[in-house]
Amino acid sequence: MSTMTETRAPARTGAEPRRGRRPRLPYLLLIPAVAVLLLGMGYPVYWQVITSLQQYGLAQQFGQPPEFVGLTNYSAILTDGYFWTVALRSVVFCLVNAFVTVAIGVGVALLMRAVPTVVRIILQVGLLVAWAMPLVAAVTVWKWLFDWRTGVVNWLLTQLGASGFDGHNWLAQPLSFFLVATVIIVWMSVPFVALSVYAALTQVPDEVLEAATIDGAGPTKIFRWIIVPMIRPVLSIVLLLQIIWDLRVFAQIRLLQDSGAPVRETNLLGNYIYELGIGRQDFASAAAVSILVLALTIAVSWPYVRSLLAEDRS
Amino acid sequence: MSIATPSAVGRSAPARPAPRPSAARARRVAGRVLASVVALVVAALWAFPVYWMVLSAFTPTARLRVTPPSFWPESPTTSNFSGAVTGTNFGSALKMSLAVTGLTVVAVLLFAFLAALAISRFRFRGRTAFVITVLVVQMLPAEGLFIAQYKMLATAGMLNTVVGVSLFYVAAIVPFTVWMLRGFVAGVPADLEEAAMIDGLSRSQAFFRITLPLLAPGLVAAGVYAFLQAWNEFTVALVALPAESAQTLPLWLRGFLAASANRGVDWGEVMAASTLIAIPVIVFFVLVQNRMTSGLVSGAVKG
Amino acid sequence: MKILRSAAFALAGVTLLAACSSTTPEASDSTSTDGGSSAAEGAEITMWVAGGDTPQALRDYLISTFAEENPGSTLVIEEQAWGDLVTKLTTALPDAENTPDVVEIGNTQSPTFTTVGAFADISDMYEELGGDKLLQSFVDVGMVDGKNYALPYYFGSRYMFYRKDIWDAAGLTAPTTLSEFSDDVKQLRTDSMSGFAMGGQDWRNGISWVFANGGELATEDGGTWTSTLSDPNTIKGLEMWQDIYQNASNLPSTERDVAYWDFLNDAADGGAPEAATIMAPGWARWSIGDLTTNDAGDEVRDGMADDSKYDIFALPGVDGGVAPVFAGGSNLAISAASQHQDLARNLLTIIYSPEYQQMLGENGLGPANSDYVSSLGDDKFAQTMIETAAASKLTPAAPGWAAIEAAFVYEDLFQKIAEGGDVTALAAQYDETLTPMLNGQG
Repeated sequence: MSTMTETRAPARTGAEPRRGRRPRLPYLLLIPAVAVLLLGMGYPVYWQVITSLQQYGLAQQFGQPPEFVGLTNYSAILTDGYFWTVALRSVVFCLVNAFVTVAIGVGVALLMRAVPTVVRIILQVGLLVAWAMPLVAAVTVWKWLFDWRTGVVNWLLTQLGASGFDGHNWLAQPLSFFLVATVIIVWMSVPFVALSVYAALTQVPDEVLEAATIDGAGPTKIFRWIIVPMIRPVLSIVLLLQIIWDLRVFAQIRLLQDSGAPVRETNLLGNYIYELGIGRQDFASAAAVSILVLALTIAVSWPYVRSLLAEDRS
Repeated sequence: MSIATPSAVGRSAPARPAPRPSAARARRVAGRVLASVVALVVAALWAFPVYWMVLSAFTPTARLRVTPPSFWPESPTTSNFSGAVTGTNFGSALKMSLAVTGLTVVAVLLFAFLAALAISRFRFRGRTAFVITVLVVQMLPAEGLFIAQYKMLATAGMLNTVVGVSLFYVAAIVPFTVWMLRGFVAGVPADLEEAAMIDGLSRSQAFFRITLPLLAPGLVAAGVYAFLQAWNEFTVALVALPAESAQTLPLWLRGFLAASANRGVDWGEVMAASTLIAIPVIVFFVLVQNRMTSGLVSGAVKG
Repeated sequence: MKILRSAAFALAGVTLLAACSSTTPEASDSTSTDGGSSAAEGAEITMWVAGGDTPQALRDYLISTFAEENPGSTLVIEEQAWGDLVTKLTTALPDAENTPDVVEIGNTQSPTFTTVGAFADISDMYEELGGDKLLQSFVDVGMVDGKNYALPYYFGSRYMFYRKDIWDAAGLTAPTTLSEFSDDVKQLRTDSMSGFAMGGQDWRNGISWVFANGGELATEDGGTWTSTLSDPNTIKGLEMWQDIYQNASNLPSTERDVAYWDFLNDAADGGAPEAATIMAPGWARWSIGDLTTNDAGDEVRDGMADDSKYDIFALPGVDGGVAPVFAGGSNLAISAASQHQDLARNLLTIIYSPEYQQMLGENGLGPANSDYVSSLGDDKFAQTMIETAAASKLTPAAPGWAAIEAAFVYEDLFQKIAEGGDVTALAAQYDETLTPMLNGQG
C-alpha cells in the first residue's frame, strides 16, 4: 500500500485546489455543461415528475386536460405485485451481469498485459469490432446462434455428442433465457471494461510488482493487495456504469422475446416502462416507474457512488 | 482468467534472482504461451458474431439460417449491399449521422473538459451539488422522456435539426465524460504550465504545447465513448428527427427490420446494412486506437 | 492560473463559434420539412406511409397526380418504419405545426388513435370513396360511434401452403372441412416433420379456429367491451386449435413470429422439409420453392414454380367453404390537427380512384375497393387471396387493444393452451384479465 501512495503523490502536488482565488472562474467554466444539462434534461425531467403525478394517457396527449392525481400512480405501482417481481428480477439480473462483466473484463485486461504485443493487438481488434457492431445486428446474430432449429450452438453441442441439444429451445425457460441474455450483454459490455481496465493497468509500474515478487508475494496476493487498490478508481466507475446500464437493459431483452419466449416471466424494468409508455400509452405510469427506477439505481449503486464521492473529496 | 496474473507479474521478472533459473524460465515461457492461446480464443469468441454478420451480409437470403450451418461463404453475393444502399436514404443518413456524431463529440469534449477543469482545480460553493447532480442524472431511464423531448424541440422549431438531437445527446453523455476527464485534468500539474511561462512561453503557447498534449489520451478516450453513444443511438433520434430526410443511420437500419403485409424481413440486407454502419466506427477506432488504449480512464488512476 | 483562465476563454470562444456555425445551415433545413404555411393554396402536405409496402411507382403516381389536380401544392411522401409508427404518431399527430396530413396505420392499430380523436371525421366522404365496396372488416375497425375516421388502404391475406408431393404420397388431397384438415395434418406428422407447423404463441394464426367455429374474442354493447373467451363457440375453437397444435406441430410452445416458409423448403442438404403444411401471408410464396438463380446471378427461391411439389389452399370452414382468417393490411386517415384538411381530402380522392386501386392490385396489394380486386390477377394465388380476404376478420376495435398486444396477453394464453392447459378454466381466467383491458382500464 505504501508504494501506491508514493506513485500517486507527485501527480497531486500541482492539483492542489485553489481555495478562495478567482471565485468567478470555476462558475464560468461550468456554464456550458450546466447550460446543456439544463436545456437537454431540465424540461424533460420536470415533465416526467409532473406527469407522474397526473393521469396522462393518449387522450391527454391529444388535448384532454390532464387531471392531477397526486401519488395515485405510485401507490398503484407499488401495490402491484408484478412490479416487485420485475424489480427484483431486474436487480438480480443487473448485479449478476455487472459483476460477471467486470470480472471477465478485468481478466481480459490482465491477459492483455501478459501476452506478446502481436497477440495483444489481435485481442484488442477482436474486442473493438465487437464493440462497433450495431445492437440490432448483434442481438440478431446471437439469436441465430442460439436458434433451436438452425443455431450453431445446438449444432456444435450435438456434434460434440450432447444429443439432448438437437432442437433444444434456449429461450423457452426463463432461466436459460436469461443465460442467453447474459451471454449477449456480457459480450457487448466486456470490450469497454477490458480496455478501460487495461489502460489503468498500464499505470501500475513494473517496479512495484517486481518489488512485491522479491518480497515473496504470490500472484493472488499481488492482485488482491497491489493491483486492485491501484485500479480501484477505474473499477468503481466502470462497475457503476455497468450497474446503471444493466438495470435498465431493454432492447436486448425485447429482441430476444420477439423470437418466442414467455414474455411475462422474462420482462425486466426497461420492458415494463416500454410496455406502459409506448405499448399502453399510459405515460403517467411510465413516468412514475422511471422515477422509481432512478431511486432503485441510486439504492443499488450507493456503495460505489459513496466511494466515488469519497475519492473525489480526497 | 487468473492464469494471466502470474505471467503478468512474471513479465518484469528477469532481473530478479531465482533459485532455479531454468525451471522458473520454463514455467514463465509456458505461462506466456498458455496466456497467448487463451487470448486468441477470447479474441475469436468476441469476433465470431461480427464474422457471422459479415458472412451473412455476403450470403443470399435464401441460404441464410440453414442446417447444417456453413462457416464460409458458399455462393457469395454483393446483392445484399446493393439492395441496402440503392433506393434508400443511405447517403443522406450517413451525412446526418456524421454531422450529429461530429457535433456531439466536439461539444461533449469541450463542455466536459471545461467542467472537469472547474471541479478538479477549484473548490467552490456548489461544487458538491454539481458533482452529485452529474452522477445522478445519468441514472434516469431515458425511455419515458420522449414526449417531453418532442414537445421541446417542436416548440423551439428545432425538429429535424442536427443541433436539436445533438442537444439531447450531449446532455446524456456529458455527465460520464466529466467524471472521466476530471481524473486526467487533475493529473496534469498546473505548475508545469507556470514553469513553461517562466521559460518564456506565452499563456496560450504554454497551454497548447504543454497541457493539451498531456490531456490528449483522456480526450481521445472520452471522444471514443461519445462517438459510439451518438453513432448507435436511435430512441431519441426517432422523435427528434421525424422527417425521412433527416434520418440517421440507426433509423435507416430500422427501416429494414419490420415485416409487413407485402414482404418479409430481408435478413441479408439487414446484415449488409449493419456492416455498413459498423465500418466508419472501425475506421475511427483504427485512427485513434493507439492513443485510446494508453489514455482510456488512465487519468482516473492519478485522480 | 492566468493561463488556465485564458485557455478557458479561448475554448469558450471556440464553443460559441461551433454553436453558431452549426446552427445556421440547419435553420434552412428545418423550414423545408416543417411545412408550416397555413394558406389553403400553394401548400405542401405530407403523407406518411408505413414500411416499404407502397412501391415507388405508386408513390410517384400520387405525387404527380396530386400536383396536377392541385396546382401550386405539393405532396411529400415519407416512409416510417412499422416498429416506430405508434411512437411517431403519438408525438407528431397532436402537433398542428408538424403533423403529417394523411397517415397510413396498421389496421389493428387504428382504434388506439380513432378513439382519442386523433383523426378527422371523414364520414361524408365514405360514399364517394367507395362506400360499401370498401373492405368491411377494415372499415369497421376505423369507426367510432358510427362515424368513419379511418378507411382501408390495402389488405394482404393468409392461407395454407403445403407440400403437395408429401400430401400426395400419403394419399391425401386438399381438405374441404376444418376437421378434415385436422385429421390430415395429424396423420402427416412425424418426429422430424410437423404435419402443420404452428408455434404455441401464434394467436394471430390461431384465432382463425375461433372465428371458424363462430366464436369471437370480444363483443361490444353500448360502448362497453366484454372478452368472450368463455363463449361455447370460442371454447370449441380453442380446443380444436389445442388438439391440432399438440398432435400436428413439432414447434415449441413459445414460438410466435416464425418464418414458417423455411420449414416447407427442402433441407439444405436436400433432405425432407420440416413441415408438410404452413399458414402464412401471400408474400411467403417468394420465400418458398426450389433454389434457382435470378437475373443478378444470386440464389433465390423459385416462388413455388413446381406445382406438383408445392401448392396452396384456403383454410376450410367447419362446414366447408372458407374459414375466416386474420387479415393483415392497413388503413388511411387524415390527422385531425392537419391545417390542410381540403388538400388531404383531395389526396384521399386520388387514392380511392379506379386508377390507383387498379395499381395497388397490379402490385400484389389487395385493393380496398372490391370492384378492383380482379387487378390482382387470376392465378391461384390471387384467387385464394381474394377468397380468404372476403372471409377475413380483424381483432376487436376496442380502445384498449394496443395495450393488450403490448402486454402479450394472447401470447400467454395461447402458450398455456398449447402446453395442455384446461381451456375452460384458462378462458375464464383470461376473460377477467382482458375485459378491463379492452375498455382501457388496466
